[in-house]
Amino acid sequence: MEEDRKVSKTTSDGNGMPDLVFQRVIDYIHDARDRDAVSLVCRRWCEIDAGARKHVTIALCYTTTPRMLLRRFPNLESLKLKAKPRAAMFNLIPEDWGGYVTAWVEEIARSFRGLKALHFRRMIVRDSDLELLAQARGLELQSLKLDKCSGFSTDGLLHIGRSCKNLRTLFLEESSIIEKDGKWLHELALNNNVLETLNFYMTDLVQARFQDLELIARNCRSLVSVKISDCELMDLVGFFRAATALQEFGGGSFDEQPETYSSLSFPPKLCCLGLTYMGQNQMPIIFPFASLLKRLDLLYALLDTDDHCLLIQRCPNLEVLEISLSHGLKYKSGILVQQTRNVIGNRGLEVLARCCKRLRRLRIERGADEQGMEDERGLVSHSGLMALALGCLELQYLAVYVSDITNSSLEYFGRYSKNLCDFRLVLLEQREGVSDLPLDDGVRALLQGCNKLRRFALYLRPGGLTDVGLGYIGKYSPNVKWMLLGSLGESDAGILEFSKGCPSLQKLEIRCCCFSEQALAISVLQLRSLRYLWVQGYRASKTPDLLAMARPFWNIELIPERQVVVADPHGAAVSVEDPAHILAYYSLAGPRTDFPDTVVPFEAAAFLNA
Amino acid sequence: MSRSAVELDFFRMEKESAGKPQQPKKLFDRRRSFRDIQSVISKMNPEILKSVIATGSVENGNLLASKPKDDDPFLSPALPLLSAPAFGNRVSGTTSLTIFYNGTISVFDVSLNKAENILKLAAENVSKTVDSDLPLTRGKSLERFLQKRKER
Repeated sequence: MEEDRKVSKTTSDGNGMPDLVFQRVIDYIHDARDRDAVSLVCRRWCEIDAGARKHVTIALCYTTTPRMLLRRFPNLESLKLKAKPRAAMFNLIPEDWGGYVTAWVEEIARSFRGLKALHFRRMIVRDSDLELLAQARGLELQSLKLDKCSGFSTDGLLHIGRSCKNLRTLFLEESSIIEKDGKWLHELALNNNVLETLNFYMTDLVQARFQDLELIARNCRSLVSVKISDCELMDLVGFFRAATALQEFGGGSFDEQPETYSSLSFPPKLCCLGLTYMGQNQMPIIFPFASLLKRLDLLYALLDTDDHCLLIQRCPNLEVLEISLSHGLKYKSGILVQQTRNVIGNRGLEVLARCCKRLRRLRIERGADEQGMEDERGLVSHSGLMALALGCLELQYLAVYVSDITNSSLEYFGRYSKNLCDFRLVLLEQREGVSDLPLDDGVRALLQGCNKLRRFALYLRPGGLTDVGLGYIGKYSPNVKWMLLGSLGESDAGILEFSKGCPSLQKLEIRCCCFSEQALAISVLQLRSLRYLWVQGYRASKTPDLLAMARPFWNIELIPERQVVVADPHGAAVSVEDPAHILAYYSLAGPRTDFPDTVVPFEAAAFLNA
Repeated sequence: MSRSAVELDFFRMEKESAGKPQQPKKLFDRRRSFRDIQSVISKMNPEILKSVIATGSVENGNLLASKPKDDDPFLSPALPLLSAPAFGNRVSGTTSLTIFYNGTISVFDVSLNKAENILKLAAENVSKTVDSDLPLTRGKSLERFLQKRKER
């Protein structure tokens, strides 16, 4: 009898394995999908996993509530929250769309005592949120990332700088921050000596003082990564000298005479670099350590094809390259005074394929489009891509804007790029005819060959992919979790065929296609893993056909057609029509309660139209 | 009073009459078949058609000023108008449907029902080509960089 009682205290469900054993084992299971699977085995395992879970990513903050998160995962140490649709990064989503962190910060301040790392992406943050966070969790916080966020000022950062003495990571990249002064950096410099990563890259914070950067470098012996906004590089001589452990640097600017920079020396371990406004004349300062470079960001540099080739040839250890199809145009007071060609082009890709055998990630962005200044040598098309596929066998991530494309170049990827997990291709809108449309066969070959593919984006034009081609995408992408379909297919038949496949598809973005509301609704119901849909550009109907996808826990929102002000190629403000968006997602929290004027829950919209 | 279908080439899109710029050509052409009307509509630029339908209605008889385009027939045509006056020929039950397109004017005798169907058909064709409304946008950070570069 005694023994039976002892046994029943330590076993879980009578299967014989004590909880204690499983609690130890679960600490070694880190992968989120594995933990998810484990939590579904039985109630006891769900409880054990929940109690021991260290990190959670909530892909859309409106799918749940802070209370629900606390109830299930009370011992969280790290939380990542995302809100605005990805399209916000392309200026397609109203600024006040939503994604306020306030309720989350309040719960964190109240209840999540173990929280050390916080990452908000595309959310709205207020100074008061930062103040509360600093006050309640200041000493515990080791990592704070405000990633493409907006709504706060340098006053909010002042609280962080003052109170977060144990902060190892402060990441603000691409956030829209209202700048009052540079005091926040000064406070950080005074109060912190454990900082490892500091990033305010692509923010427009210009009042941050280089003297404070130097102070941080001197105090924080573990400083490995610093990316800043515009700041004259010659002012950073002291900083570079002090930051002896630095491995990554990004930002700065070149405002002095080119010769000045020859005296600039960089930290010895520097292997990740991105210098803003770097031109042909300043490029040689990198040559002494180019062979050490693993990551190179040339998105905001001012180089042409020849320069790119010269530089890339010297970087045999390159693993990550970001580059722009951008034209070297010199402006003075808004008037074009000089044009040098500034593009990577097929030749650049050929050099890359020959020299950089370790390349894992390549991103070729779209630069300025100036009329009549297209350079043959600078455009990326099939020959460059084929060389790339053949030469860079380690490639895992490719995102590229092309001016021309063929089926055979896509087939090359299917044949050679066996490590590809993330493939994104956009066909630029030029007037010239494209060699080889539709791309049905090439796309099929790519999908069949690249069986590690998890993310896939294809943005073409009418005629680029037929309904059959769309069907291929559905049939041959068993493991793809995220997709962007841009201007693909010919009719509803295409999306309906597509949605019979894609068994793993969780998140789907559709832009500029011709599908009807009804076809979209049916497709949603057919895609068995789908939990998030975003559409812009579809055939609206007078009747609320979208209702066909109405179901429990499925929120449907509309951003009706509106007028937006954008900058035209000459920088003038023009008012354009932004077509309607559909956003739909699974949620355990019911419909949102914080809609701005620009966003409408579907039920109301249907009622108004009836 | 019966009205015949009239096609007037004010802007001389037909190049044969090169010698007399002032004289409009008159073509008397009776078009009654629905298919003819449909084919005329399908050749129009849906963009323009959409804006016309949005602003105008069956009663609207307003004329919008349209500039003559160059002689290049491949450029987008001048703004066409669809107008079907409410007070048509009550005696026969038909009203006249006037279509201004690419420098030509076509007038059709159709019943009110048919006129509405044509307008609906045009609207349907319009919504199919949403693609032209959606240009490729660039990432925010790149857009800002390109602006800043101009200011340097």
